[in-house]
Amino acid sequence: MQTNTDSGHNWFSRRQNKERRMSDLSHLVDGSIIPTENIVAAMEQLIKPGDKVVLEGNNQKQADFLSRSLAKVSPDKINNLHMIMPSISRSEHLDLFEMGIARKLDFSFSGPQSLRIGQLMEDGLLEVGAIHTYIELYARLYVDLNPNIALLAGFKADRLGNIYTGPSTEDTPALVEAAAFRDGIVIFQVNEIVDDVSDLPRVDIPASWVDYIVLADQPFFIEPLFTRDPRLITPLQVLMGMMAIKGIYAKHQVQSLNHGIGFNTAAIELLLPTYGESLGLKGKICRHWTLNPHPTLIPAIETGWVESVHCFGTELGMEDYIANRPDVFFTGKDGSMRSNRAFCQLAGQYAVDMFIGSTLQVDGDGNSSTVTRGRLAGFGGAPNMGHDPGGRRHSSPAWLDMKPDDSLLSKGRKLVVQMVETYQDSNKSTFVEELDALAMARDYKMPLAPVMIYASDVTHVLTEEGIAYVYKAESLEQRRAMIAAVAGVTPLGLSQNPEVTAQLRRDGLVAYPEDLGIRRSDASRDLLAASSISDLETWSNGLYKPPAKFRSW
Amino acid sequence: MSNAQDSRLNTNFVEQGARKRIEYVLDSGSMRELVTPFDRVISPWLEVQGIVPQFDDGVVVARGAIDGKSVIAIAIDGSFQGGSLGEVAGAKIAGALELAVEANQAGESIAAVLMFETGGVRLQEANLGLAAIAEIQSAIVALRKLQPVVALITGPVGCFGGMSITAGLCSYLLMTREGRLGLNGPQVIEQEAGVGEYDSRDRPFIWGLTGGEQRYTTGLVDDFFGSDVIEVRNKVQEYLRKGVPDTFRSEAIQSSLDRLKNVDTQHQITSEAAREIFAKGASL
Repeated sequence: MQTNTDSGHNWFSRRQNKERRMSDLSHLVDGSIIPTENIVAAMEQLIKPGDKVVLEGNNQKQADFLSRSLAKVSPDKINNLHMIMPSISRSEHLDLFEMGIARKLDFSFSGPQSLRIGQLMEDGLLEVGAIHTYIELYARLYVDLNPNIALLAGFKADRLGNIYTGPSTEDTPALVEAAAFRDGIVIFQVNEIVDDVSDLPRVDIPASWVDYIVLADQPFFIEPLFTRDPRLITPLQVLMGMMAIKGIYAKHQVQSLNHGIGFNTAAIELLLPTYGESLGLKGKICRHWTLNPHPTLIPAIETGWVESVHCFGTELGMEDYIANRPDVFFTGKDGSMRSNRAFCQLAGQYAVDMFIGSTLQVDGDGNSSTVTRGRLAGFGGAPNMGHDPGGRRHSSPAWLDMKPDDSLLSKGRKLVVQMVETYQDSNKSTFVEELDALAMARDYKMPLAPVMIYASDVTHVLTEEGIAYVYKAESLEQRRAMIAAVAGVTPLGLSQNPEVTAQLRRDGLVAYPEDLGIRRSDASRDLLAASSISDLETWSNGLYKPPAKFRSW
Repeated sequence: MSNAQDSRLNTNFVEQGARKRIEYVLDSGSMRELVTPFDRVISPWLEVQGIVPQFDDGVVVARGAIDGKSVIAIAIDGSFQGGSLGEVAGAKIAGALELAVEANQAGESIAAVLMFETGGVRLQEANLGLAAIAEIQSAIVALRKLQPVVALITGPVGCFGGMSITAGLCSYLLMTREGRLGLNGPQVIEQEAGVGEYDSRDRPFIWGLTGGEQRYTTGLVDDFFGSDVIEVRNKVQEYLRKGVPDTFRSEAIQSSLDRLKNVDTQHQITSEAAREIFAKGASL
């Protein structure tokens, strides 16, 4: 019955289109399996000019064999593709645009390739649909960006196409569903094909969602992005961590939270079993986490601080540790981690009390951005977690603590904490008159400035100078004075009026370390529960296997 | 703020600066620093080369007691110019050791503890650094006949260049896992031999050849242990108590030469191959 109906309209065009493409492919495939050497020819058959193509680029799992293969197709046969990619991390992702295979791009994050995206835009080779946050990008797959093709990565498959994603499931479920149930063609690259489903550790994606699998020429690329060596944490970061724990976590009873990547938050993780313990906070704060499995979280887990951790993806070296701590992490029956970026981002958006993260630039109002001139780095998930979701309806002590009054009609807020040193490495002030993001928007004629966290969402600004409780500000002017009070010797900081700052401190709107009962001289690295990667390995009883680049033994 | 209940929170010796290291090794309250930063004896050569000098020139020398025994304790600060030795830093070490020799000859009993964290000669003061290292070595050779001279290499810098020879002259040489001991530093070897032969960024390979565990397994050092400050202090005490050894490692010239002959220079050396060669030779 897949033909025209009474009205004469064909309601099955997408399905027929898919079937047509696949039926022409029989000479190149063996059942569901595309032989590795046939992948380019198969792509030239399956993909048509102008298609919307989802390409899985994650943090810890890259469909890199498929992206390298796509870059080998003939631009005469396949061109003007509309690429939809959570993360642009590999050079061939952009080769597609340089060669004319692809034309339009919707993405979330582009860390390592941020400079080149800007160049390709200037050269007129790449047109950006939008720079999204992760959840936003997944959501649009189900609205107006329905993919024709999904190029995805798994760890193992059986011959029918059941997929084991490995511990970094990451974006796969969100991406595959939009294609599989909208007559898109789903192709998985895997590191290994086993004969039978019983040979898979577990099934993360069922075969009926998958059209083709292909054995990659080499295992997908993975690097330890979330490992911070405790040896590089500075005493200043220890001081900021102490202020965060006492002046924010304890003050507001933050029980569930997300930590970004960075040495600032790594310091906090390592201070919980020492400084946090000395304040008697165990069990009262930091019980539930949404974040990648940071190795620096190991001492807090081992000392019983952490009840649950849900992850976006995994981290290299943490596999055995996670498999041996199923009470803490989400794991499959096979023992390995099951991560899921879409759910973890949703959890970070709606279910946690607090987001805390660093940034590169903050303006006087508290807007922040990681965009610097010429670099279109994208957002990733920070804006999802770093904002107050107006739809939230459940309460928690921290959320309620942000309520401006006792009215039953007023809402609490998620804590959104910007934790920055007043100066970046190269003597560059973090506090700026105007974010580079604005100049960028003008240069590239973007409808919106790429702001990471908007001032209206920020509740706290924490620097080595102190904490500005900006959620308490009663006017924009007062808010600016509070931020200036913790901006140190930056131009913004020097503009503060000492009398105003003194009053802000008396009123509890700004707290310096001494106001919190913290002596700056106490902020020593000795307070860190682990001072090296080796210490983390010891804490894990040898279960954490540090990647070679972090070993010093 | 160590948590007494949890041994995993103990203080790590590797983390400590030079002055703190001495404090941890000496009996509590016995430390008296010589030529302190307040004396401002700084290198006269660095400023003219655009380098900010340090008031202790990267070396801390102190008198004190360990386990009640009078010692001179010397620690190099690896965070200042990579622990390199120039004129002043070298003279502080050599002078202290020479005074210890004289004191012992005059009937006093003073042993020595050296904590190395050094890349060797400070290139900005090349000849003066070289001369100082020679003086340090002859002072150690004189002192080790009279008193135990205990050396400690914990990392993170390790002990390289001329100072690796100095380490080899000490009565007892002790290492931890993160310590490294080698004549040339990894980057120097890579520069000379090429990255194909010696990749200085291949950390397991580097530690596999020069790290504390390998040096202990191949018999080039006397002991190998964890880097907790208490453990380090106990080990230093243990080796000081051993007194002057009957023979010194640096005198075992023939057996070392025999081993060198067994090195196959046609093939890439591995950690296992090195262990095999050292296992064959007679004990040092």
